[in-house]
Amino acid sequence: MPEFVVGKFWNRLLSGAVESRDEDAVVLFEDIVKPAGILFRALGGDKGLAIKIAQSTHNHGKRSWLQRVAGSEEKIELAWRDHEALYLPSSINLFPDTALNRELYFWLAALAVESCEGSWFIENQQATLRLLEKFPGLQARYQRLLHVVLSCRPEIESLSDDNAVQENVLRQALTTPGCVSLLPLARYPWHPVHLWFHPTPPLSSATQSPPPARLEEFEQGENTQSVFQDERRHKAERQDVQERKDGFMMFFRAESILSWAEYIKVNRPTDDDENTDAKRAADEMDTITVTRDGKTTASRIRFDLDLPPEESDDMPLGDGILLPEWHYKKNQLLKDYCRLQPMVAANATPSALPVHLAVTAQRIRRQFETLISVRSWQKKQDEGTEIDVDAYVQHRVERQCGTLAADSGLFKTLNVQERDLSCLLLADLSQSTDAYVNNYMRVIDVIRESLFLFSEALFATADRFGLYGFSSLRRDQIRFHVIKSFDEKYNDQVRGRIAAIKPGYYTRMGAAIRHAGSLLVNQPSHQRILLLLTDGKPNDLDQYEGRYGIEDTRKALNEVRSLGIRPFCVTVDEKAGSYLPYLFGASGFIVIRKPSQLSHQLLTLYAQITH
Amino acid sequence: MATPVISIPEATNPHVASDIPFYKPHGNEVELFDHAFNKQLPLLIKGPTGCGKTRFVTHMAARLNRPLYTVACHDDLTATDLVGRHLINNSGTYWNDGPLTRAVREGGICYLDEVVEARKDTTVVLHPLTDDRRILPLERTGEILQAPPQFMLVVSYNPGYQNFLKGMKPSTRQRFVSLRFGFPEPELEQEVVMTETGIDPEMAKLLVKLVSALRSLKAHDLEEVASTRLVVYAASLIKNGFPPIDACRAALVEALTDDEEIIAALMEVVYACFGE
Repeated sequence: MPEFVVGKFWNRLLSGAVESRDEDAVVLFEDIVKPAGILFRALGGDKGLAIKIAQSTHNHGKRSWLQRVAGSEEKIELAWRDHEALYLPSSINLFPDTALNRELYFWLAALAVESCEGSWFIENQQATLRLLEKFPGLQARYQRLLHVVLSCRPEIESLSDDNAVQENVLRQALTTPGCVSLLPLARYPWHPVHLWFHPTPPLSSATQSPPPARLEEFEQGENTQSVFQDERRHKAERQDVQERKDGFMMFFRAESILSWAEYIKVNRPTDDDENTDAKRAADEMDTITVTRDGKTTASRIRFDLDLPPEESDDMPLGDGILLPEWHYKKNQLLKDYCRLQPMVAANATPSALPVHLAVTAQRIRRQFETLISVRSWQKKQDEGTEIDVDAYVQHRVERQCGTLAADSGLFKTLNVQERDLSCLLLADLSQSTDAYVNNYMRVIDVIRESLFLFSEALFATADRFGLYGFSSLRRDQIRFHVIKSFDEKYNDQVRGRIAAIKPGYYTRMGAAIRHAGSLLVNQPSHQRILLLLTDGKPNDLDQYEGRYGIEDTRKALNEVRSLGIRPFCVTVDEKAGSYLPYLFGASGFIVIRKPSQLSHQLLTLYAQITH
Repeated sequence: MATPVISIPEATNPHVASDIPFYKPHGNEVELFDHAFNKQLPLLIKGPTGCGKTRFVTHMAARLNRPLYTVACHDDLTATDLVGRHLINNSGTYWNDGPLTRAVREGGICYLDEVVEARKDTTVVLHPLTDDRRILPLERTGEILQAPPQFMLVVSYNPGYQNFLKGMKPSTRQRFVSLRFGFPEPELEQEVVMTETGIDPEMAKLLVKLVSALRSLKAHDLEEVASTRLVVYAASLIKNGFPPIDACRAALVEALTDDEEIIAALMEVVYACFGE
């Protein structure tokens, strides 16, 4: 215990001695991500890029001995971009002024517009030059940042000869970008350059491994509650798995504790330890080595994700439908790439509306009945399309009799409120909807309630509607559950099917949207709406994740739009703001913060977009 | 039955030839309009807000020396509002021509702006005018007006508009020669801004660069994009001595969104172009 107290005191003392930065001036990633993203896109950045937190990497630069003892600035976060995302530091507090720290974020977002490939030293200078030439307004900002950045760099006098030369060249390159093309070598690496991108950015998922070989042993997706949520990317390297014959403990001396990053031959896939500190350990490590078989320490074995035996599964309808998929890297639509299997829960027992929803349903029916089309003549109007003959005759009679008749209310007007629309509600039934949203309900329960109340409301308005759900297990098993087709009546049978929905598998959104679009386009209505109810990003077991999934979904949505269908998304994913605008446009979606409010908000939204 | 002969009065257009409103063509739209006018074809103009649709029609009407009747359509606009209606005065009722009827009688150009906003029954009265019959039946008065060769119907709408539940019916759309307007190329837009406001070329160039940057946010971050009209507004303010940053905020940024976070981000784009 005393060691602990002394250690804590020591740590505070040392950190206090070296920590010159003002914590009040810190600017956090989450506060800046939206405006920085807008700036990046406005200046010409790729709209498909996500903006993520950069992983911290080892600081090879020179630190004072006090800093080294205190362990401060051991890790630094520098920005970089690849074809998936733009990575920005999780926070910036380099300067004592919040405005300057903010400006540095914006500068990095702007610099990312210029591609940074090739030699780090030359390319960063060139990118700076190009950017300042295109947007001269940034010149003043650059000079301001440069001034403070230079003042934060190590004193040239304090460096050894070769490092002093190197530092001098770096300073020149920063002050007059494009003036030097060669960075001299020195004994120690240079002090990190915060105005530029990362010299050796960590590897991204660009080198994707093939999907796991066996179904029953894949890693559970990011949506499970227990998997830690760490947005930072970690520097990764691939190694082929080396099977250990003895399968015994590692032989590892205590003093090598500093070499975390060494590749240790442990048979991780079968290591059952609850690794509670995995997140911290991952932060500490420079490199996480992932073996080629795709199984990590966090792998969780979920046998129940395997397809159910045929007799207990929903009844398939037909042989399945072949649908294309968009491969954004190849820039081509892969024909007949996915097989979508419509299925219906044949064994669902017909049931009535759940008792606890009865009161709400009644209220909603009453509210929605007011939306039904009405066509009526409004009489005695001051303006209108026709003369109101009754009012006019009375007016004439009054005048003839010498009464002072008012010249108002002599017209009538036809009031028409037509509703001619079809709505298809497509619910995401992937395994992630199994997560709890509060103490009582899972996402799937909220979705089920929403389906019930939505049906009640649309039944009241007499709008044509269909209810469908989807999940997927790779491209050949896209399960498209028919809950209520457009021509079916909303009855106990349908209610039974709503009650029977259950979560499972993954979210291959593109194919489901394409099929929903083809169903909707055949409806005779003038307006057609596709409402997508989901809880997360598109993802599946194969390459269908990250940008691949997003791009395919976007393509599918554009196809659907070109058919004259209006897609709209309702999501409970709080991080949806980062990718949904790319898919649905700025006003084509809503994020529901309290999932328990889903059914209520869904209906308000429906009333708004259709009325 | 012989159709009533309508005498065409000489155009009483306030725009005389020397006073033709400025319009800088993007492409072949002026020729297309001329040909459509000569061959008596109705014209549909599609394009975003503030890209110069109305200015183009005003310009063409002045060029062709025809009176122009512009109707800004809204969702309460009925066929009666276009054709005309009976009104009441002390001596009884009398018939009052609507703008469409007046344009047909006088051989003018009738321009229905944002036509999809109008009620569905409005488009029905347009149908007999837009095919080879070129007639306008006035149900209430029993007249059938034969449109003179000088009459031309022009409608416009904004396809990307928020209310895209209200598409144009294919049966209506297929009666028009269509013309698509976009925002002009940067050089052209710069010229438009300079001619409209007399602002210096450097400033016009910066403004156009800014507006191109803002336009690239369409659909992802912004619903609507900044129009040429807004650039002209900003340029007018600057020309009049208002500081550029404030002018951009007032005329461009605040006009695009109400969300304060987005406004702050858009101002960063303004700073990138104009400095701070």
